[in-house]
Amino acid sequence: MFPGSAPTNLSTDLAFDQELLPSRKARSFRIGRLAAIWDAFFVAIASLRQNKLRTALTLVGIIVGVTAVIAVVTIIKGLDQTVAQTFSSQGSTVFTISKRPRVITSREDFIKYNKRKDITEDDALAIFRLCSACWRAGIAANDVVPVKHGNQKADAVAVRAIAPPSMFEVDGVTIDAGRFWSEAESNSGQPVCVVGSDIITNFYPNESPEQAIGQDLWAGGHRYRIVGVLQPLGKIFGISRDDRIVIPFATYKKDYGLNIARGAFNTEGSLVIFIQTPSADQLETAEDQVRAIMRNRRGRTFNDEDDGFALETEDVFLKLYSGATSNIYLVTIGVAAISLVVGGIVVMNIMLVSVTERTKEIGIRKAVGARRKDILTQFLIEAVMVTAIGGAFGVLTGFGTAWLIALAIGFPLLFSIWSAVLGVGVSSIVGVISGLWPAWRAARLDPIDALRAE
Amino acid sequence: MTEATVATSPRTAIFGKPDLASADGKAEILIAMQNIWKTYDMGSEKVHALHGVSFEVHRGEYLAITGPSGSGKSTLMNLIGCLDTPSQGDYWLNGKNVSEMDDDELARIRNQEVGFVFQTFNLLARATALHNVELPLIYGGIPGARRHEMAKQALTEVDLVDRMMHRPNELSGGQRQRVAIARALVNHPSILLADEPTGALDTATSYDIMNLFEKLHEEGNTIILVTHEHDIAARAHRVISIRDGLIEKDEQIK
Repeated sequence: MFPGSAPTNLSTDLAFDQELLPSRKARSFRIGRLAAIWDAFFVAIASLRQNKLRTALTLVGIIVGVTAVIAVVTIIKGLDQTVAQTFSSQGSTVFTISKRPRVITSREDFIKYNKRKDITEDDALAIFRLCSACWRAGIAANDVVPVKHGNQKADAVAVRAIAPPSMFEVDGVTIDAGRFWSEAESNSGQPVCVVGSDIITNFYPNESPEQAIGQDLWAGGHRYRIVGVLQPLGKIFGISRDDRIVIPFATYKKDYGLNIARGAFNTEGSLVIFIQTPSADQLETAEDQVRAIMRNRRGRTFNDEDDGFALETEDVFLKLYSGATSNIYLVTIGVAAISLVVGGIVVMNIMLVSVTERTKEIGIRKAVGARRKDILTQFLIEAVMVTAIGGAFGVLTGFGTAWLIALAIGFPLLFSIWSAVLGVGVSSIVGVISGLWPAWRAARLDPIDALRAE
Repeated sequence: MTEATVATSPRTAIFGKPDLASADGKAEILIAMQNIWKTYDMGSEKVHALHGVSFEVHRGEYLAITGPSGSGKSTLMNLIGCLDTPSQGDYWLNGKNVSEMDDDELARIRNQEVGFVFQTFNLLARATALHNVELPLIYGGIPGARRHEMAKQALTEVDLVDRMMHRPNELSGGQRQRVAIARALVNHPSILLADEPTGALDTATSYDIMNLFEKLHEEGNTIILVTHEHDIAARAHRVISIRDGLIEKDEQIK
């Protein structure tokens, strides 16, 4: 009787089915995905709470990884910021003329640059006279000398000799106590100096900057009267920028002389000319004029490729810095990211254990109608939840670590919301990737075998 | 074959529906097993768990399937419960040919058409009774409030609504089985499929559970009981005995 009658009778059953509103049932089954996902959140929370040790271990795995990445990224951004601020303190309106560029990358270049003529005061005077787009210009020479005051001694303190006094403004420094020296003092080569705040701290430990004004300081065997103290500039990479003495160029020339082969004399007889334009858009014109003036003075024709001097803006150094460091940064971040990968493997391992432990549960869920997708979603949500929470904690500890390191080294930090979002985002992706295989294994379990488990 | 096509396409069937069942007053056929074979490939040799089993179950029947272990009884139960598909033959459940469905379609049939009651209850240990009963509704996509209400109603039916916030380990064996029965009933399935439902219970509790099945049958539920205990099977109205993968006896006892 069965083969023929079954289908005809079965079709009448559909009347019953229709009574149950099959279309609504089908639709709600689809909408039910949301209910199942929502439920999966609670299942995940319950499961994570039930297995506290397992959850804690997983969290630690992710937290360590995210901490490493966030700390490294935050520190690097802080360093970048510090460097950018430091080297742009003179502003984008300043450029320099020097014998050698500040960065030399090969021995051949070094030899070539050494053969160039020194930059002299005459060069500077010619530029002052001929460059119409220039606003302010000055010369500077740098040296290192021993310094003494009473019992306090230091073997090597930076001396910067500048002229005219407006070079202070080109340098972007401001006075804290006392004054800059005057034009007259500068021209006549008076034994006066303006010192950085560290000089006061080191040589006048019990005195305020105001009290140090008018006192004498012995530098390189010469006596200088302190007329002013500079506002602190702070540290860069742990090195103070306030441990220096600034004297008039004429004084320097009188006391030490120029063109004397002294190893400590950094500029080795050659000066650095600083040129400032009234605004950034005149920088290029001024550069062209100065280049023409200097090429002319060095006897260069159009055909000569080498200028015979180095014309540099401050951002040249910045560009070089970022070019040189960006690869190092990438490698550092990459190394830190390895710990995140390890964290991902921890998550995967623990998820696999979890799937094995909960085979019976998976069987029950499948018996009452959970599909592969439902099981997959449940385990994925669990993995992502752990890694996202771990990521959030990791961002906090990462910022904390960066803050501690920054405090120790001494530079400002940049806490960006983006690195926080990135930290949680990346760890969630790690969760998806490392949760996918265990979840897929759970989803693929045969319901009969799964029910039989335990 | 054309008839089969009609049946697998519900829309066509609804439009061309003949009203035969109500004409002769007999309940419609809920399950039609047509020459069902189940073969397991055990490496070199093939093991036939079922060799050509055919029978029908009408709506509202109370059927027991018995047989010694290894008879193919469990295999048959897995097939009826849509946990597995036959190697050969057709299985019609409530107008749908489930013998060729894939995993997800079977999951849906299990969700909508079958209510399982297991020997070992198979409740989620960490979830409350209420959540356990809600489980099929979650996968059936019933929204939260409605789900809650339906689960409570099912628990009322098994007289456990006052214990709904308890976890399985806070309930007795009989209570756990009643939670499992509530879970099986909550989605109003076509069949209630019980596999040795009293196997883990003492005699008195077994009695309660069997009385509950009787009550559910009287309310119109179709019940299929798989058991090896004769006195349990004797409570049913019809008994199918399986031996060596074949139907040995199929008798109406009430």
